[in-house]
Amino acid sequence: MMNILETKDLFHDFSGLKVLFGVNLQIKEGERHAIIGPNGAGKTTLFNIITGTYTPSAGQIFFKGRDITGMQPFELSRIGMGRSFQITSTFTRLTAFQNIRLAVLSKRGIRFNLLRRVDRMHDITQETEAVLERINLMAERDRPASALSYGKHRALEISLALAGNPELVLLDEFAAGMSRDETHNAVALVRRLTEGKTVLIIEHDMDVVFSLADRITVLHHGQILATGTPAEIRQNQAVKDAYLGDLEV
Amino acid sequence: MMNRWLRLSGMVALLAVLATIPAVFGPYYTNLFVTFAIFAVFSVSLNLLLGYTGLFSFGHAIFFGAGGYGTALALKHISGIGLLPAFGAGVLAAVVLALLLCPIVVRLSGNAFAMLHLAFAQVMYVLALKLRGITGGEDGIGNFPIPPLTIPGVASFPMKDSPQNFYYFAIVILGLSLWLMWFFTKTPFGQIQLAIRENAKRVDYLGFRVSQSKAVIYVVSAAFAGVTGSIYGMFHNLVSADGSLGAGVSFAPIINIMIGGIGSFLGPVLGTAIFQIFEELISRFTDKVELVMGLTLVLIIMFAPMGVLGVARTLKQKWFPAATGGDAPPKK
Repeated sequence: MMNILETKDLFHDFSGLKVLFGVNLQIKEGERHAIIGPNGAGKTTLFNIITGTYTPSAGQIFFKGRDITGMQPFELSRIGMGRSFQITSTFTRLTAFQNIRLAVLSKRGIRFNLLRRVDRMHDITQETEAVLERINLMAERDRPASALSYGKHRALEISLALAGNPELVLLDEFAAGMSRDETHNAVALVRRLTEGKTVLIIEHDMDVVFSLADRITVLHHGQILATGTPAEIRQNQAVKDAYLGDLEV
Repeated sequence: MMNRWLRLSGMVALLAVLATIPAVFGPYYTNLFVTFAIFAVFSVSLNLLLGYTGLFSFGHAIFFGAGGYGTALALKHISGIGLLPAFGAGVLAAVVLALLLCPIVVRLSGNAFAMLHLAFAQVMYVLALKLRGITGGEDGIGNFPIPPLTIPGVASFPMKDSPQNFYYFAIVILGLSLWLMWFFTKTPFGQIQLAIRENAKRVDYLGFRVSQSKAVIYVVSAAFAGVTGSIYGMFHNLVSADGSLGAGVSFAPIINIMIGGIGSFLGPVLGTAIFQIFEELISRFTDKVELVMGLTLVLIIMFAPMGVLGVARTLKQKWFPAATGGDAPPKK
């Protein structure tokens, strides 16, 4: 199977503070890959570098075989990369419908259309409503994002990343702060929405990681400690020492 | 169906009222109304940046002034130029100025954007005073010819000594501008502006290029500010640093937006109306108009930061909790 995403010797430091030391990540097309590791291991920085927030200090990133190092977030989004944020980052005063519609517009490449009313574009409306239907938000269609329950707001957050139908989705702690039930629903949602896509997740909740991931990479002090299937990671002594410890998983 | 009829008859009624204003109210109130219309549309053009894109400018007068000076210079120096080409020259001047500033301003937001525009406005103001050869210095450019509006082969409407004709000309242009701006906010592009106001970072990750979108709305806003500046210059037959470029010209639309309500398209129009009526009334009782207006503004910002429409919306939500929504919900 082909690697949809690869990083080669990624280094990154924030004005002297070294965060990543030569990260070589290989994400296979179609897999659900989780990145785990203690706080400060560099997980979110890695995400930010992959999605174009920062340019790495050294190293390269390849997406679908193409060197994307230094490309901007909007460019990466256009070539099929979507991401969600750990801290919910929606358009809070716009309705759920308006939120999703933006992603749908972007997917269709509609950016500078000043000649048609958006509410008269019925295909856009239909597609947006289909997304809302799928994430069970139709009842909240016209409520501002800020008025949604936490679980639904998170679902909206994830769907913003997915509504553009990207090939690779990066989800940064999508279940952060959720109750048991909400987490359960969110996992089911992610499983359903990412069918056939490549998914890269950062997650602290080991139940989520081990139930969702095909493969796991453990990041520790800015380096990859191990990569493997959930079973392999469970057995790995270095991982146990550094991170999982005596955790029953 | 009922709704469409209502809206249609509303439009007809509005047009009828607008058409009869000069005949019914006489020149004084007609002129007052033209001033209102100019500043209402000017305020709406600023609100495209402020309310819809979240960009606060303390110097929107630069485009108002560019429109005014552009038109005045064209009329003064190009003999035989028509009314519409001269008007177009003003709008073009505003657009060119916006295009020049674009590369700098689209990278900014928040305070930097606001303060940089304050600086630009001051520079333009001083330039208008100093470059006497071009701008006429403190006197400005006045008494330039105002050609008739000519539709070749059909008719010619004199503008110079016919306030009534000028009224119709101004109202058509300003009304059209207002409608166009309203339409823009309803397009997909308008949605992207709202999204930038809400969360520019996320817009980037959705595949929209924020700086480009900002640049387009910036130029659109400048163009309509230029429209109003040009009409204003022709209306007074005078363009001056104080009247078209001064700090007051930058602050007037901000105040209008604050009074009316930042969160809606017509808020600035309502704000302009309230401001002007209020100013007109106060000036009959005291000559300390600015003092009273200033105090009123302080009270509004303290007790009704969302303006009159904000208060109306809060009351509506209180009395009719089911009815909510709208394009640009109020700021927190």
